[in-house]
Amino acid sequence: MSKYFEVRWHGRGGQGTVTGAKSLAEAVQGTGKCVSAFPDYGPERRGAPVRAFDRFSDSRIRIHTPVLSPDVVMIVDTTLIGGKGLVEGAGESTIFVVNTERNAAETKELLSLTTQPVYTVPANSISYRLFKREIPNSAMMGAFARACPEVISLEALVAEAEKIFAHILAADLVGKNIEAIKCGYDEVQTA
Amino acid sequence: MPETRAITGNGAIAEAMRQIAPDVVAAFPITPSTQIIEDFAGFVADGKVDTELITVESEHSAMSACIGASAAGGRVMTATSANGLALMWEMLYVAAGMRQPILVAVVNRALSAPINIHCDHGDSMGARDAGWIQIYAENNQQAYDNMIMAPAIAGHADVRLPLMVCLDGFIISHSIETMQLEEDRQVQAFIGEHKAFHSLLDTANPSSWGALDLHDYYIEHKKAQQVAMANAKPVIEEVSERFGKEFGRRYELFESYRLDDAERVVVAINSVAGELKEVIDELRDEGEKVGLLKIRVFRPFPYAEIAAALKNSKIVTVLDRSTSMGAYGPLFVEICSSLYDANPRPMLYSRTFGLGGRELLLDDIRDLFEESKRYLNEGKIEKTSDFLNVRGG
Amino acid sequence: MSEKYGLKNWQELALGGVITDGGNAADYETGTWRTWRPLWRQESCINCLRCWVFCPEGAFVLKDGKTPAGKDRKEIKQIDYYYCRGCGLCVRECPVNKKGKKKAIEFVREET
Ligand code: SF4
Ligand code: SF4
Repeated sequence: MSKYFEVRWHGRGGQGTVTGAKSLAEAVQGTGKCVSAFPDYGPERRGAPVRAFDRFSDSRIRIHTPVLSPDVVMIVDTTLIGGKGLVEGAGESTIFVVNTERNAAETKELLSLTTQPVYTVPANSISYRLFKREIPNSAMMGAFARACPEVISLEALVAEAEKIFAHILAADLVGKNIEAIKCGYDEVQTA
Repeated sequence: MPETRAITGNGAIAEAMRQIAPDVVAAFPITPSTQIIEDFAGFVADGKVDTELITVESEHSAMSACIGASAAGGRVMTATSANGLALMWEMLYVAAGMRQPILVAVVNRALSAPINIHCDHGDSMGARDAGWIQIYAENNQQAYDNMIMAPAIAGHADVRLPLMVCLDGFIISHSIETMQLEEDRQVQAFIGEHKAFHSLLDTANPSSWGALDLHDYYIEHKKAQQVAMANAKPVIEEVSERFGKEFGRRYELFESYRLDDAERVVVAINSVAGELKEVIDELRDEGEKVGLLKIRVFRPFPYAEIAAALKNSKIVTVLDRSTSMGAYGPLFVEICSSLYDANPRPMLYSRTFGLGGRELLLDDIRDLFEESKRYLNEGKIEKTSDFLNVRGG
Repeated sequence: MSEKYGLKNWQELALGGVITDGGNAADYETGTWRTWRPLWRQESCINCLRCWVFCPEGAFVLKDGKTPAGKDRKEIKQIDYYYCRGCGLCVRECPVNKKGKKKAIEFVREET
């Protein structure tokens, strides 16, 4: 792991993107790494594009600046594709994890990516199946573990997420979210 | 057992408050400090802390209630930001003049207008003359640690002054960071008992608070406040040292980062210090003699100690995250005063940044050090004072 | 300075200006503030004690007495001019004064 492993999330206000970034950081923190996670608060309107950031490191993280050259870009809402800033600062090997029903090759083309690996996950479908509404975070976290096993394995993610969710959710919802993580992990496509 | 957690700055302050377990918290919500009181209200509702939580109708009332509760002998805390702190203004001076050791978490945010919710230090810097001790924090850990130290400092018999713990809005308040929360019992043993001072509730020994002082006594009471501030300096050092022994994290009045042989120094407050350290490490690897002096205690201001720490510097850039309209930034003014008698006196200039949350990126900081290098080589400062990252130059 | 004016130095002051000697109003000779003087007339007074209630300086001194029916009561004894600051509240509140004809408290200019 280089000094900081950096993740940039793109979502929409009200979708839980900030919570997703924070939950992922908490899970990674549980594996013994130092983490930080923070939102890029603009006007807090439902539906407005929002960004959130994660940094993971083996040593203390000192910087608080937004992530400019991400190792991973998490796109929580497929309708953001084509909008500004998604691929900004991405390097040749920046990983894209996209919540979409499209296949990975098509998504890669839509994002005009070449060398960058793209992981797609139908997180909305998974979420509707399990929760009967659109809360894609847990499936996105599962997809992240699939894309970046060197940061967190599925086993570690599930173990940590159980602890994190137990603090904030009822028991049946903890179970469903764990299920969503596993589905997210399993249903990933790559290109 | 101490616990390593990824928690927001606001969450960390709320945990510190739970551990301090004040008798009274009177508060009114304002972004970005709201989560502190939200979390704390949860602790009260869950019975984790036996605090009287007073939800008032304004920040002016919040501080008024704090003053009354403190004069009644309670340990008292609150949290606020920006316009909320501004609405407390009148009562800040009353709290200080009445020597009530009230603790406030100030989550730094820009003052209106235009309305802005993001970080700058205009709020607490504006309150710098109100008679409150001000301690600033770079990150979540330091905000938490400063709050744990606050009761012992503010309530010390030689001090008895109200105290603000300042942390950057959003950048710290809303970011989760890996940090260490200490064990409740150890923290409580460190803080010690709160000693009431002529409590209004002590009916056997009645007292009056807030009486009139005219030209016959007002200035004597102000002199006493000034002396208490001077006393606060060694007390802060002593409490910080005890904290270091107890919990392993050491704090001084300010932090000297790679300062000993630094020729080019930046002086700054709060979270930007993290970015500065990052760039300084890079520049050091490139052989540049650069360093940071990070202010922790702004009131009382450690003039002599800072002068000594900067004695080897050749050029000093002071970063203010607030401005005084029609004057230099408040930190720059203090650093100038610190260095007036220095011989030789380093070159010195002021840069204002980050108002209303404007970012200062790592590249910007590199540029800043480039500029100080050029000034030093040319032996001349082109602009004594300027804004960074402002469109239109 | 303190020697000259009989005032305390900053070191001698209570923190935050707290006042701990309860009842210290008795230390202040507010009688020196008076430019008008209330004169209490025992013969017209009905001992309702309104003046005693309203006087901000507690200048009315009471004594034990009896009602015409022989029950115990407090009565006005005198005005303590060491404290009476001449505010005139007693003059205004006295019900005998309000009725008009007779006055139980007269208000007169202080003689110099
Ligand atoms: S004039 Fe005022 S101070 Fe004097 S006795 Fe009457 S009410 Fe009291
Ligand atoms: S108010 Fe008048 S009538 Fe009543 S006690 Fe006083 S002087 Fe007498």
